[in-house]
Amino acid sequence: MPATDVAAKIRGALDDIKAADLDDPRLMEVLSLAENLVDSMKLFFGSLDNSIHSEFLHIGQYIARTRDEIAALRPNDIRESRLPTAGAELEAVVNDTETATETIMTLAEDIMALEPDNLENYKAQVDEKMMGMIEACSFQDITGQRVSKVVSTLTHIEERVARFSSVMGVLDAEEDDSDEKEQWRQENLLNGPQIDGPATGQNAIDALFDGDISDEELGQDAIDNMFD
Amino acid sequence: MAVDMAMPILVVDDYKTMIRIIRNLLKQLGFDNVEEAADGEEAYQKMQDGPGYGLVISDWNMEPMTGYELLKQVRGDEKLKGTPFIMITAESKTENVIAAKRAGVNNYIVKPFNAATLKMKIASVIGDF
Repeated sequence: MPATDVAAKIRGALDDIKAADLDDPRLMEVLSLAENLVDSMKLFFGSLDNSIHSEFLHIGQYIARTRDEIAALRPNDIRESRLPTAGAELEAVVNDTETATETIMTLAEDIMALEPDNLENYKAQVDEKMMGMIEACSFQDITGQRVSKVVSTLTHIEERVARFSSVMGVLDAEEDDSDEKEQWRQENLLNGPQIDGPATGQNAIDALFDGDISDEELGQDAIDNMFD
Repeated sequence: MAVDMAMPILVVDDYKTMIRIIRNLLKQLGFDNVEEAADGEEAYQKMQDGPGYGLVISDWNMEPMTGYELLKQVRGDEKLKGTPFIMITAESKTENVIAAKRAGVNNYIVKPFNAATLKMKIASVIGDF
């Protein structure tokens, strides 16, 4: 029952007792005190009611805003359309490059295996196979377009996640390392090619193996100096 | 001592195309006896059962056993520890190159590479040919 209703009920009870025309002045004094107490309690509980109400209102608004922001992420569109499409594009890139490499390599092996006994025939065959190599290189145009689509999908997701994270004030949680296979991969597999070419060039690696520096000297500072 | 051009060479890589490239380059250099494995585990098994490889050329990133793990296993194996071992990988972080050197790799080639680099590194490990 709300505080105002409780106060009204107590006040009604007090009025009934007063109306009974009691003679004892001390009892009337107690009733008057009780009346003041009820009025103060009514104010106190009323304010509590208001603060709880506004707190729930705030939580409700937050939930509604979260729902709107999640909707703006378009998670179903990302899961059902964009990510599968991007995955399919990447698979196609792998297949296209594999097919082109296979074609080019086979043609190169064919050329290496040609018998140059008849020069005219040899040249005609080399020309034909070279043309096949040039044609196979057209994969670059198609894979370029496919990769652009994937980049556009990633940018789309990145923008929406960044907006969501910013609006909701999301902080990164601790990384979950419970997946044993993933843990093994992180510990044992390396990052592969760097974006801007090798982190350590072949010449620097050669210096290391040519004995320009000994294993004992292989502190990080010495290594950094050697490779700088 | 002259290099035995007929010696068996084991190429370890999980990409068939890369194996094919290395196989062709080795053929061009005069090495025809090339066998292949798709990861460290298969390679180690072949080395134990095989003809006694004159050279192992291995990638780093492979599952379930990496080239680095294969290297350590080979160097810890009394029968195989003397096998010349070259790492060919796209991984070129300094600390990893050093880790491989400390584990006993004989040379290290960063991808992409060419026939001249491969020839030079093989020669530095097994002698001029």
